[in-house]
Amino acid sequence: MLRFIGRRLLQMIPILLVVAVIIFTLMELVPGDPVRIMLGDFATEAQVEEERERLGLNRPFLERFWEFIKGAVQLDFGVSYITKTSVSDELIERFPRTLKLALLSICVSALFGIPIGILCAIKANKLPDRIALVLTLLCNSMPSFWLALLLVLLFSVNLNWLPSGGIGGAQYYVLPVISSSIGSIAGIARQTRASMLEVIRADYVTTAKSKGLSQKAVILKHALGNALIPIITVIGGQFSFLMGGTTIVESVYSFPGLGLYIISGINNRDYPIVRGGVLYIAFTFSFIMLLIDIIYAFVDPRIRSQYSGKKKKKSKEAEAAA
Amino acid sequence: MSNTETKKVKKTAASYKPGSLRYIWYKLRHTPTAVIGMCFVVILFILSFASPYFLIDEASGQPMWQYIDMRNMNALPSAEHLFGCDEIGRDILARVLYGARYTMSIGIFSTTVSLFFGMLLGSVAGYFGGHVDNFIMRCLDVFQAFPGILLAITISATLGPGFEKIIISLGISGIPGYARMMRANILSIRGSEYAEAALSINCPTSRIIAKHIVPNAMSPLIVQTAMGIAASGLMASSLSFLGFGVQAPTPEWGSMLASARNFIRNYPHLCLFPGIFIMLTVISYNLIGDTVRDALDPKLKD
Amino acid sequence: MAGNSENLLSVRDLKVEYSSGGKIISAVNGVAFDLPKGGALGLVGETGAGKTTIAKAIMQILPDHATRSVTGEIIFQDRDLLKTPEEELQKIRGGDISMVFQDPMTALNPIMTVGDQIAEGIHLHQGKTKTEARQEAIRMLETVGISADRVDEYPYQFSGGMKQRVVIAIALACAPQLLIADEPTTALDVTIQAQVLDLIRNLKESQDTSLILITHDLGVVAEICDHVAVVYAGEIVERGTLEEIFDNPTHPYTVGLFGAIPELHKKVDRLSPIAGLPPDPTELPQGCYFAPRCPRATKACTEKHPSIKHLGGTHYALCDQI
Repeated sequence: MLRFIGRRLLQMIPILLVVAVIIFTLMELVPGDPVRIMLGDFATEAQVEEERERLGLNRPFLERFWEFIKGAVQLDFGVSYITKTSVSDELIERFPRTLKLALLSICVSALFGIPIGILCAIKANKLPDRIALVLTLLCNSMPSFWLALLLVLLFSVNLNWLPSGGIGGAQYYVLPVISSSIGSIAGIARQTRASMLEVIRADYVTTAKSKGLSQKAVILKHALGNALIPIITVIGGQFSFLMGGTTIVESVYSFPGLGLYIISGINNRDYPIVRGGVLYIAFTFSFIMLLIDIIYAFVDPRIRSQYSGKKKKKSKEAEAAA
Repeated sequence: MSNTETKKVKKTAASYKPGSLRYIWYKLRHTPTAVIGMCFVVILFILSFASPYFLIDEASGQPMWQYIDMRNMNALPSAEHLFGCDEIGRDILARVLYGARYTMSIGIFSTTVSLFFGMLLGSVAGYFGGHVDNFIMRCLDVFQAFPGILLAITISATLGPGFEKIIISLGISGIPGYARMMRANILSIRGSEYAEAALSINCPTSRIIAKHIVPNAMSPLIVQTAMGIAASGLMASSLSFLGFGVQAPTPEWGSMLASARNFIRNYPHLCLFPGIFIMLTVISYNLIGDTVRDALDPKLKD
Repeated sequence: MAGNSENLLSVRDLKVEYSSGGKIISAVNGVAFDLPKGGALGLVGETGAGKTTIAKAIMQILPDHATRSVTGEIIFQDRDLLKTPEEELQKIRGGDISMVFQDPMTALNPIMTVGDQIAEGIHLHQGKTKTEARQEAIRMLETVGISADRVDEYPYQFSGGMKQRVVIAIALACAPQLLIADEPTTALDVTIQAQVLDLIRNLKESQDTSLILITHDLGVVAEICDHVAVVYAGEIVERGTLEEIFDNPTHPYTVGLFGAIPELHKKVDRLSPIAGLPPDPTELPQGCYFAPRCPRATKACTEKHPSIKHLGGTHYALCDQI
């Protein structure tokens, strides 16, 4: 198991390196000159040239890339073109907020989605299930930014219960968490229902029932455990969606997290921000995906034995990557 | 029974091969929710292209979706302007109808792009295996290290705004999912007993690919595609909302919402209708997708 | 009901209907039989005849989502199981009646150790602590011929025959009065089949358990059972003691079944299979269900449903032509 984790952590290095290459190259190709945007339309050609020189933008591509990688390894992503402050400091300040937002949202999604899915599976095709199906369809189809706007309208503008944006105490997280988790609740509930329905008909559930276990014990102990693998997969997918989705939700609520930072970086052609932010998110995301693989192993002994086995598919893949 | 009589016999679900395209089409025609979804999509598409010809401002002769009338700034819904007017006095109904073409078609086109390249990469990886497979899969790993919409955002920032650009960026960011699925299907089919059975009776490779591998690998992909259209429609409007992709003054629903959000305190109706239409469109695509999935994956029914 | 005291189980006029895709499937159509204490009844019939449904109806573990109605009487120890509340049934299931399922590959929960799966029922019914139950589970494993050190292994680490032994251990863990074995050997290799049958017979004798053995293999019935009931299209068409049925098969279907078995000491050029297929349970024929395939059917057989005939002793047959 430890070997598996170690291998996966090693595998993350080349992936993050290539992510760095891609994001660096993409930002080079973005149309629009950062210095022009920074200095405005009235700056003279000489002023622009001077600023470019100062920021080191005139040096060759490879040299700048090497600079960037050297910094990135030490978690130093340089200085923002616009604010002239350290990007790393800003990232360290903002990262916990986004992480908190994403983790809260995924927890809320799982806490509501899984029980709703189980109830639907037990009451399959009866009234509660039908109602839940319609509701999940609605939630699945609602754009999160629109939901966010509606929530602001209701809870901030009309009722004045919650702040419409910014950062502060717990109340600043309520609306962002709701807007980003509604869609995920629906997705998780649908998957839970589907895999529970499949598992409830499995022979081993009949075996469990024929032992005299109560329905509750059958469902929670025997059925849910086996239904969890596809549910965890969906939770992983939803987490990916949420990590990316924070860009949207954060910009509606002016929530000073990574997502908003990256968007502003892109809009201002402030590349150090974008590079640093994207690498942070990619790293967190890869790390969470590793966690999910470990959770698989805890849920399913067959996967566990695969991880510890020496000549299994996973290890072959790892060797090839190294 | 004579031939003419057999032709008149009404076809039932049983007369189609489960999983075939005809069966899916039969199911789509006979599932009420799917019919509602398809009708909504088709009617809105037609209205989107037809409305500029009949929703015309009488005084100026300009189509209403771009006719600016400052007297109607932020006008509330009325008999004249059913959905009201936006911040510079344009009719919201006309703009919503005109803008339908974007969200609706971006979903379809970008999913097609993802599906095509995903299938290509996935089948090459699955079929050749070895180093080719490894190389392709590692590339996909890198792309998947960008969570959710972030890849689409960075690509569309690089490509710049525009209708085709947003299709390309959403299309590229969808490739890994389809490629992985295609590869997994091909691997499982290659190892399946029916593929071995076909091989054991000296079935030519081309026939195995055409008759066994492709049809069996396709059905999960069709399901994924049907569900994917709705998801990428949503992503498209989110990108426009963030200011990437289709931009104002084009009345794309996402960008309409982006400009409307500045007026949410005083004129919430500006935010209402584009959002409702995004939702209705995505619901329609989802209803169609659900039916396709049920048709191809009957074990989830009952 | 008179004479019930020596019968452990009496089934009267049992009817089960399923619904699927808008159609009503009549799976069991008025089945009646008695099982004396310590007896072993063989339910014989083709696939789809309704044997498993009878078993699941006795256990009250029919699939909720598909079952439309269950009527009749299932008297077990002087109480009607169909009228017993669910909590009482949970005590009976696994405690007094248990079941061995057809396919050992799917009958065990893949994510629980075999020890836990056996101990679960013991803990539940005998009120033992977890450690005591575990000791008892180890003892059961040894009884079915699996060494104690495998108690913490998972089902995927066992072969098919070993899994079936585990399933039998689960079923017999609480020394039930009635064991229902649903085709316990069908999914196993021929060499393993004999071992499993021996195991069931020995345990039945040592624990003084009554047995209902469901099978389509008349050879297995001859080896273990003392009573036989032949099931066709959800009805018992003939029942009696082993001798009555094997020496004097009367119903045309039973005769047909015996005709389809190869015999060692007779030289037969061709086996005589029963022509045709069982009727569609959604559209049972009006008259005798077997009439379309019956070599002795008359016009009257296709119009009127036959009535049960007493042939002496405990021998009954459902046919108007005898």
